[in-house]
Amino acid sequence: MGFAVAAAAVFSITLPGFFSVGNALALARAVSILGVLALGMALVVIGRGIDLSQIATLAVSAALAVTLINAGLSSGVALLLGLVLAVTIGVANGFLIAVVEIPALFATLAMGLFVVGLTRAFVVPHYQVFLSPGHDGLLALGRNVAGGIPVPLLVFAGCAVVVHVFLSRTVLGRFIYAHGDNVAAARLSGIGVRPLTMLEYALSATIGYIGGLMMVASTALMHLQIAESTLIFDVILVVVLGGVSLVGGRGNVFSVVAGTLLIGVLLNGMTIMNLDTQTQDIIKGIVLLAAIGIDSYMHPREEETAKQGD
Amino acid sequence: MDATAPRDGAPPLVRIVSASKVYGGVHAIENVDFDLRPGEIHALLGENGAGKSTLCKVISGAVDLTTGEYLLDGRKAGFSSPSGALKAGVAMVYQETSLVPSMTVAQNLQLGREPFYTVFRKLNISAQQSQQSLNFHVDPLALVETLGTAKRQMVEIARAARYQARVIIFDEPTASLTPEEIQHLFHLLRRLRDEGVGIIFISHALEEALSIADRLTVLRDGKLVATVKAGEVDRAQLVRMMVGRDVAGGAYAAPRMAAPASAGRREKVLSVENVTMGAVVKNMSFSVFAGEIVGMAGLVGAGRTEIAHIICGARKRNLLRGGLIYFKGKPVRYRVPSQAINDGIVYITEDRKQDGFFETMTADENIYLGRLASRLGRRWFYSPRERKRTADAWIGALGISALKRSLKIIEYSGGNQQKVVVAKSLVQEPSLVIFDEPTRGVDVGAIPQIHAAIREVARQGKAVIVISSYLPEILAISDRILVARGGRIVEEIPAAEATEARVMYAAIH
Repeated sequence: MGFAVAAAAVFSITLPGFFSVGNALALARAVSILGVLALGMALVVIGRGIDLSQIATLAVSAALAVTLINAGLSSGVALLLGLVLAVTIGVANGFLIAVVEIPALFATLAMGLFVVGLTRAFVVPHYQVFLSPGHDGLLALGRNVAGGIPVPLLVFAGCAVVVHVFLSRTVLGRFIYAHGDNVAAARLSGIGVRPLTMLEYALSATIGYIGGLMMVASTALMHLQIAESTLIFDVILVVVLGGVSLVGGRGNVFSVVAGTLLIGVLLNGMTIMNLDTQTQDIIKGIVLLAAIGIDSYMHPREEETAKQGD
Repeated sequence: MDATAPRDGAPPLVRIVSASKVYGGVHAIENVDFDLRPGEIHALLGENGAGKSTLCKVISGAVDLTTGEYLLDGRKAGFSSPSGALKAGVAMVYQETSLVPSMTVAQNLQLGREPFYTVFRKLNISAQQSQQSLNFHVDPLALVETLGTAKRQMVEIARAARYQARVIIFDEPTASLTPEEIQHLFHLLRRLRDEGVGIIFISHALEEALSIADRLTVLRDGKLVATVKAGEVDRAQLVRMMVGRDVAGGAYAAPRMAAPASAGRREKVLSVENVTMGAVVKNMSFSVFAGEIVGMAGLVGAGRTEIAHIICGARKRNLLRGGLIYFKGKPVRYRVPSQAINDGIVYITEDRKQDGFFETMTADENIYLGRLASRLGRRWFYSPRERKRTADAWIGALGISALKRSLKIIEYSGGNQQKVVVAKSLVQEPSLVIFDEPTRGVDVGAIPQIHAAIREVARQGKAVIVISSYLPEILAISDRILVARGGRIVEEIPAAEATEARVMYAAIH
């Protein structure tokens, strides 16, 4: 957390236009969606998994919901069906990983590709789907509320509170930590590891879906191409940088919020500095490699039990 | 000179003087003297953990001595790695063969010494020649993965011979061979011996060792017991040398509890009938009754841990003809451990670091997690108060002496860690408890406490199985001893009639 403050301080001194209310709000708005996605990813990573299909899942579920709304279904039903699709993908991921025993890295990677392809074939023939005008209910999610606070920020805060309570106060949350700490011990102790895995990925998909709806609310469209963008790396960057180790069993919501702020400041700073996307990607890549490297150093993998894609 | 006897006048190929190897404060071998003459087959005997593997690792260059000397041909052995040892002429043939399955025999023969550019024709011809000189026939073009164990061993021997090894060490070479293959192997060993090679032969099969070896060395608890000539001892004497120890002393000397007053008809809690799983468990059958402690003795690989895994649901027996298991009279087939735990069966693992506890959590959290994971403790919200209450009770009951409860369990001593793992399972209120190597890596002071806990569990009317590779422990704690060998139970000995020698004999033959 201190890092974020320090970086913010440096940027505000060196960059004109950084330290202003307008910029702070713009920063908050952009960061909120990333933060929500990171919360979902953190759940999976704490369980020693990874969900590379998160963006793809949210893209296709949100796209489905929007398509259904455009087709005339009531908003409630359409959003529900989108949620059902997200949860189904999550459970399928969990099944492949826990029952078929495909390493998470490969299973979710392939799943992401699969669902985007399927959706483009049957549901959304063009890359993007626009929300037809007249559905202000959903768009309200993207606006500001009293005092100029963006609603996305409130949604992020709300999700953070819920996830925090889940992880720190519920038994299932504690099981996820145990799962990430030692799968074999969890299994022998009587924790149902397979259903738990499916739950972790279903939650990641669900929270991702909320993020997807926030995106739709901001821009009134869902563009499937985000599934092929580097957004997934941004999410992983937030999670790892914030202190949720890829080795599992460690981390909490505070880490994720700290990571979100840090990355948000970084991205915002790079935008103000007018860096082109290639340079931004290079910088993000270096930071991600450094973060994963430090994480590996602090939490080395057991060579004897490491698997492919660990 | 008689070609079949070791050349008694020749200086030893290998000499180990006062050798000790310490791992983390524990002596794997202590002050051992050993020598190997050229043209000799020397058998190395001892129980699990006696130090045989360590001694051979030292000789083959895989491990350095902590103190003591290793002389090869009268000079200090200067190598510190297996490849260095190979160059010096010391080769080891492992139990799990060290060949690459996807390559051919010929390729494996030159593994580690490949020329820069391989001409396959030359390679295959030279492979053929090597084998002919040793008089066995394996197709040099065959892929190793298609060969059976016996042939693979032949390839390994051929490879060692190509390195002009003068010392070859065999680790349990006959473990997976048929009697004919064993004879063939012995024939080969005799040929090598006649050419002046020194052979060290680790084995648990005393009969075989007596038939092939010129000399035998027995190790026990890391120390040398004796080195004898083959003609001077018999099987019984060897067994006594391997196990004879001061039964009166040590932490295992706790007096056996008198049989409980209600020893009459006790409920049969578990019945295992002809259970088979792969090649490790073959038609294993036994029963366990409430209130008794059944000790399971046997060598590593006899199938004890595996049957425990099957009973507790961690692994599955064969689907077809895999046998039957009855728990409290009901036939059961568990797919996951949580099902067994719900029925009342818990398994306390032999390797607590690997799958016993959660290292990022404290002792309290570990114990409480066991409760939460059982059907009795199921709840939605985590209660720090209940956690403290549960943990307090068990820390008291088992005497877990943690100075700071806020420490993560990884920082506790081995004994305390083991007690936490035991508590984590007992908190699930089982009816059958399986302890696998309950005092492995546990400090001496904690051993009697863990044994007292095991006895208390039985006294409360639960059925207990204790798997242990340490004979004094089995004898001290069991009401009844089952001896496992080769995947089945071969003998059942009531406590009153059990002696170390009898158990060991059953485990080996």
